[in-house]
Amino acid sequence: MRVNPNPYPDLIAETAQTKQQIATDEQQIASGSSVNVPSDNPGAAAVLIQDAGRTAQDDQFQRSIGSVQGEIQSADSNLNSVITALQQAISLGVEGANGTLNAADRATILTQVQGIQSQLVSLANLSYQGNYVFAGTSTQTTPYVLDPSSPSGVVYQGNTGTNSVTLGNHFSLQTNVPGSQLFSASGNDVFQSIQDLINGLETGNTASIGTAVTEIGTASTYINTQAEFYGNALNQLTAQQTYLGSDTTQLAEQQSIVGQADLPAVISNLTTAQTSLQATLEAIAQTESTNLFQYLK
Amino acid sequence: MSSLNASLATALSGLNAEQGALQVTTNNVANVNTPGYSREEPVLVASDPVVIDPLAFGTGVTLQSVKSITDPILEAQVQQQTQAQGQFSALASALQQTQVNFSSSTGDIGTAISNFFDSVNQLSTDPSDLSLRQGVLTAADNLATSFNSTANNLTQQQASLDGSVVQTVGQINQLTAQIAQLNTQVRYLQNAGENAGAFVGQRTQAIDQLSALVDVSVIPSDNTLTLTTANGTPLVIGQQSFQLQTQINSSGLHDVYAQGADITSAIVSGQLAGTLQARDQQIPAVQTQLDTLASGLANAVNTVQVGGFDLHGNAGTNLFNPPPVSGVGAAANLSVAITDPTLLAASSDGTVGSNGNAEAMYALNNQTFIGGQTPTNYYSGIVFDVGNATANASAEQSASALMLQQLNDQVSSVSGVSLDEEAANMVQYQDAYAASAQVITTINDMMYTVVNMSTLTG
Repeated sequence: MRVNPNPYPDLIAETAQTKQQIATDEQQIASGSSVNVPSDNPGAAAVLIQDAGRTAQDDQFQRSIGSVQGEIQSADSNLNSVITALQQAISLGVEGANGTLNAADRATILTQVQGIQSQLVSLANLSYQGNYVFAGTSTQTTPYVLDPSSPSGVVYQGNTGTNSVTLGNHFSLQTNVPGSQLFSASGNDVFQSIQDLINGLETGNTASIGTAVTEIGTASTYINTQAEFYGNALNQLTAQQTYLGSDTTQLAEQQSIVGQADLPAVISNLTTAQTSLQATLEAIAQTESTNLFQYLK
Repeated sequence: MSSLNASLATALSGLNAEQGALQVTTNNVANVNTPGYSREEPVLVASDPVVIDPLAFGTGVTLQSVKSITDPILEAQVQQQTQAQGQFSALASALQQTQVNFSSSTGDIGTAISNFFDSVNQLSTDPSDLSLRQGVLTAADNLATSFNSTANNLTQQQASLDGSVVQTVGQINQLTAQIAQLNTQVRYLQNAGENAGAFVGQRTQAIDQLSALVDVSVIPSDNTLTLTTANGTPLVIGQQSFQLQTQINSSGLHDVYAQGADITSAIVSGQLAGTLQARDQQIPAVQTQLDTLASGLANAVNTVQVGGFDLHGNAGTNLFNPPPVSGVGAAANLSVAITDPTLLAASSDGTVGSNGNAEAMYALNNQTFIGGQTPTNYYSGIVFDVGNATANASAEQSASALMLQQLNDQVSSVSGVSLDEEAANMVQYQDAYAASAQVITTINDMMYTVVNMSTLTG
């Protein structure tokens, strides 16, 4: 069979192809990624986009956790202060219930209890980054104001709304408890119990004072239970942070399996391609110098 | 009885024939690098003998013709493969440009979708915060811009492909005119019994070029060729070429017409087919998917937004300007309808601190409401489709390039000029010429002898 006398087009096509391979390898080495355009691996490109979406979501959940954590922590520590104040009120009440006290002593105690009442109002009006924490979802309205005409001595101006924030796929956390539920719950009304103590001290009725002290004790126990909500929430946030951290790591691993260039393999391919290019170029140079005309004298 | 004069004539025919043969070799050597040139061979035949009873004497050699060495079947295969190669390389190069819009890992639509929902999630942690509200508006704006610029890039690419359709039709018309003219020349020479090899070679070359542009069927007829497209539209009949025209259609793109008939969708191969495929099928498919995503997302967000309450306690209004009901152009024209961050309806009950509606909006991120998929997954599907189409077109292109290369090798092994062969032929012709010349010298000597003999006797 007659041999193709013109091998140049083949050799040149091969050169172009090898150079293309070298360019692809170099791009993979430079970017460290095996999927530089979707056509490199369409399936992997799609998976990488989904992974990037989930990673961004996880990062956002972490930021949102950071945001709600501060508010929940400050609510939690405020409730502890409320409990401390109530303990003080109980001590003062026990003192005030002592029948041997004179009017002046009782007046001193009364002043102290009134001070505690104001302190409780200000604790219940906790504001975090410009929002009232215990006002339900009426976060721009001062939840409690002192009102002597009210039986409990205060008026609740907030609402009963609660918020939940999505902090993970299939994980959403309630972030607030309204003041109406915390401080003004029927049978466990903090302000009512304090007002009852004030009323007892004002009238000097030791029996009423004793009843008020019991009420305050009940309210304090109730607040303690409610505080668990915040404690639990904080624990859940910590657990979720850990989960998100491991999910992000897993996604990163998956991304690297799917999309990272296999550098040793790529470098070895590159070396092979470079050797092959050199060989082809040498073949071109050799071909040029051999035909019969050169031997005819 | 033979004569010295007859021998002289015979020897002379040898000289002439070898000179002619050398001319063929010279021409082959000169055209060693001419694209499309097929090597030629001298056809030497023994001249008719003279019968001088009872003997028949040969009268030398005649250079009867010069023959081009070609393989029409291989050439037809080359043309066919050239068409496929033209189609896939046009398609692959168009799609490679398209996929650039979906290559970036930041600043693409996927990232913009993520960022938008992230900003809503952040707002959910403090729904009355104005800077977080502004963050949502900015992210919505970026999302719209991202859709706009991707859609505009696709439209621009479509327009530039449209320009190349018009250009390609112009090239096709030029080539068919050229082929018709070559048909005239080939027919003239062949009817006169001459070697039309050079023109046939040029014509083959022109048909190869035409094959790269459009699907061509070659029908040989009566010393000329008829060329049609695959669906039978005539391009060249003998000495006449038929021009293709372009005409703007309702989408503002050019359709291809032949003698008043729209043949756009009937073009199945060659660069024109690849360009049309990218312009009329691949890019519109991506545009439709983007429109589906943009309108699905905008409508869903608007529905949630309208169902909630803004910071003033009023019912929410659309966040995005509503996309057209058909969805067509949704991606290109997506825009944010509100600029006042207090108008974002994060609240589900009208109180400033409620985040119920922001939560509902965020939930869209993981809802499968666009073609049965979440927004991000739908987008990743678009990227898969574009990547897959590009990878397929590139693979087809590589395969057809390899096939074409092999076919061209075969054509070259039949028709290519080999310098070794030509050098050997040259030596052969030179030797034969020298021998004939030597014969003439000998006859001359014999003549001299005869002439001197008569002088002696006279």
